[in-house]
Amino acid sequence: MRILRTVTAAGVLALLGLLVWSVVHRHGPGVAVAVDKGETVLAPKLDLPRLDAPGRLSLASLRGKVVVVNFWQSSCLPCKQEAKVLASAASYWQTRGVVFVGVDSLDLKSTGRAYMKRYAVNYPNVRDALGSTYPNWGVTGTPETFFIDRRGRVVPPHIISKASRQNLDEGIRRALRS
Amino acid sequence: MRLLAAAVAALALAGPAAAACLHPASQSKLESELVCLQCHETLDESSSAFATQMKADVARQIALCRSEQQILDSMVAQFGPTVLSTPQTHGFDLIAWLLPIGGVLLGAAALAAGAWYWSHGRDPRDPPAPPALTPEDELLVDEELARF
Repeated sequence: MRILRTVTAAGVLALLGLLVWSVVHRHGPGVAVAVDKGETVLAPKLDLPRLDAPGRLSLASLRGKVVVVNFWQSSCLPCKQEAKVLASAASYWQTRGVVFVGVDSLDLKSTGRAYMKRYAVNYPNVRDALGSTYPNWGVTGTPETFFIDRRGRVVPPHIISKASRQNLDEGIRRALRS
Repeated sequence: MRLLAAAVAALALAGPAAAACLHPASQSKLESELVCLQCHETLDESSSAFATQMKADVARQIALCRSEQQILDSMVAQFGPTVLSTPQTHGFDLIAWLLPIGGVLLGAAALAAGAWYWSHGRDPRDPPAPPALTPEDELLVDEELARF
């Protein structure tokens, strides 16, 4: 009987431990919520395999530059609608020290690459196969666009849904001033 | 010209024959074994845009005569084992299969031990049997009983 009690107590303790671990490791609302309130916050880690080239790309390696991070998916209609605007803005701002990074999430490699070719996406793209970056960034769908200043901080605005050229230019200018 | 026409006809006939697989993988079976990572439902139950893309990719691979395992492997290579609707039978996922069996065995063992204890066991902390009555007390009890 003592053995049974010990086993039961151990089981209860193990479940309690799991609960504590789950609560401790639960993701917060992500940076998007803070940025939408007008706050400037440190950019979450972004280190993913390249979609358009071998190797990986880390946001940390771009410190010192203003970075535009665009989350997209090849099956998303607003992403297709903004793709050419993004490519055009990327070409314009590239010469002014601004880097665009695309994050293709929850997508097949083949369709992601076909999308890049079709819409002439001319800037580096990484692949987040499982959407694992969503919680930390606070991304709730695609497309979403963030602006990161030279010090690696996400600055407002955070564009939800299709970005216009005016939205992009305003966000970049604000990040450059930050 | 006749030779050219014959060659074209032969190619036209040989094309579909070459494309036909001996044991083509089942699209419906694969759709039940793969999960749409956006809506977390199996592909056959999902009509999301992502699931539609995955179904199209499965169909493309079937047309290339890839086996069911090859197609599943290609999906796992792209998205990891979470793309499968059932856990794998090796590595860490094996726990998902073993844990319920272990739980059932443990429960059965606990029930058996409890049953044995209740039928055979005796708690040493049980109160001791009451002391036997003294001859005087027995006489009193007999007298009381005789009145009824």
